[in-house]
Amino acid sequence: MNLIFKLALRNIARNKRRTALTVLLISMTLALLIFSDGYMKAMSDVMIRSATRLYPGDAQIHQVGYRAEYDAELPVNSPDALLEKLQSHPLVQSYTVRTMDFGMVSSTANNLSVQVVGIRAESEAQVSKLKQSIVAGRYLSDDDAETQILIGTRLAEELEAKPGDRLVVSLNNYETQEIEQRLFRVTGIFKMNSKFFDEGLVFIQLPLAQQMLGLGSAIHEIAFNFQQETLSGDKSLAIWRELSIANNLAEGWKTLMPELASMIGMFDYSMFIVGGILFVVAILGVVNAMFMSIYERTYEFGVILAIGTRRLTIFKLIMTEGLMLCLVSLVIGAVIGTVAVLWVAHMGIDYGDMDFSGVALAEVLRPELRWQQFTELPFAVFLMTMLASVYPAIHAARIVPAKALHRSL
Amino acid sequence: MKPVIETRQLGRFYGEGDTLVRALHQVDLQIEPGEFTAIVGPSGSGKSTLLQLMGGLDNPDEGTVLLKEKAISEMSGRELSDFRRDHIGFIFQAYNLIPVLSAAENCEYIMLLQGIPAAERKARVYAMLEQVGLKGKEQRLPNQLSGGQQQRVAVARAMVSRPDIILADEPTANLDSQTGMDLLDMMHELNRQQGMTFVFSTHDPKIMERASRLIHIEDGRVIGEQRRDEG
Repeated sequence: MNLIFKLALRNIARNKRRTALTVLLISMTLALLIFSDGYMKAMSDVMIRSATRLYPGDAQIHQVGYRAEYDAELPVNSPDALLEKLQSHPLVQSYTVRTMDFGMVSSTANNLSVQVVGIRAESEAQVSKLKQSIVAGRYLSDDDAETQILIGTRLAEELEAKPGDRLVVSLNNYETQEIEQRLFRVTGIFKMNSKFFDEGLVFIQLPLAQQMLGLGSAIHEIAFNFQQETLSGDKSLAIWRELSIANNLAEGWKTLMPELASMIGMFDYSMFIVGGILFVVAILGVVNAMFMSIYERTYEFGVILAIGTRRLTIFKLIMTEGLMLCLVSLVIGAVIGTVAVLWVAHMGIDYGDMDFSGVALAEVLRPELRWQQFTELPFAVFLMTMLASVYPAIHAARIVPAKALHRSL
Repeated sequence: MKPVIETRQLGRFYGEGDTLVRALHQVDLQIEPGEFTAIVGPSGSGKSTLLQLMGGLDNPDEGTVLLKEKAISEMSGRELSDFRRDHIGFIFQAYNLIPVLSAAENCEYIMLLQGIPAAERKARVYAMLEQVGLKGKEQRLPNQLSGGQQQRVAVARAMVSRPDIILADEPTANLDSQTGMDLLDMMHELNRQQGMTFVFSTHDPKIMERASRLIHIEDGRVIGEQRRDEG
């Protein structure tokens, strides 16, 4: 066995407690990094899914300029052609159409300003989670379609309304320029865990909305989901160009919700900061452990230098000890990290009604394993440990034999 | 005969200004092959400092140390390490074995550094350990050996690589008188049989009695020297 390897191995085995603590420190650093990455990734994915698939969809198509003021007189151009493209596009999973305008909703208890959304009940259920969010009453159906309305839990509280209660909705009719009022009965109450949705939106059947707004068959929005939600963040896809025709603009969630995109971007910084802190703590710990080991053996280093060991050999010895500690720690850390991720993923973290920057997490959060956690992160920890070993190794290599042997020769 | 080690006007100082201490001052010495030399003097007289400088473990502030006629100051760190490995054996007061290596491995260590083939290393180590009376204890770790046995391993380690000179700093200081005597007999025998050069720093009168040459040192200066035909 190579002399340096043999000495390094035996030196590591010499002070088992210190070795165990050092290994624990390095392995826990990796385990925490793996868990943090898995957690952040899951959080980011769930937030994107919650923000897009809860209601808006992965992407939307509007007439250019519509989103600036939500001008109801700027409907989607050539919607049939777009719907045909969406119907046959391999990347698209589902789509729906909507009308939207601001109006008033009145009950016997209150009058409130809301956004009235006209939807096709069946296709809407394919794109958003509106149907699954019903907590009282039922979802829209073909029965009594002209009086059906869905309202959010917060709005229901403010209107003191429950399923079956009457509400009056007032909208501006752009054809007659008159206020159009209709009587509705609360069909269902939804809860999306978002103040904006639960307080500010009401849903009625699309034909009725078009009629009240005097839009004919026009729509304001086409919302669609991709087969894979991650595609919606890819601005290089040809689909954006293919659907941005006839003065319409197809946009993904990153453009539609820039604040969410910024927040997801912040996760990378958070991971960087968490990793940085862990690295600093671990580096200090490793340097400390290595120095303790060196100080304990200063006399020994003096002896082996005196009998002809080159300084480079001492440097290699300390680096080899660091390498061995590191390799053992990486295996242990990867196992601990994997077990932690799998266990928490199995249990799930339910944030309930909590929302993050206005985005309520619609799913139980389950940390994810991904290949970077077993390549990039261990490599970073490996570099960190080797870097932390360099200074102690240089220190040991520069020991002056005469000083180290002060007690004797 | 060419000296193994020669010092010329050797000086070593510690501190500065009013606190300057001259540990060694203008020491001129020549150690010739086959000598069994004892450097004697009271504590703090500079014996250990002189041995450190002679072995290239420290750098002088004044003067020169010549190892086999080559000045230490002209050697690179690597050359000096290699020189110590190939030409000088050290025996320390506190045994100073590598605690994680067995007696045989401690002896083998220098030869490993020298790149000597495994079979030759093993043969030389076992022969040397037998010579110092440690047959059967080759695989014991230092902490499984008595103080006297550890010092025998240290002697074996110093000699097994067949250096030109062995520098020993009070090698019997930590041993009881009988063990110290046995060790001294052994080293003296090796000196006579193999002609190996020994330089000791010591207070031990028994070493002084056996030394072929006594160098008296006091306050960092050589104050006298005695030579005997047979120690």
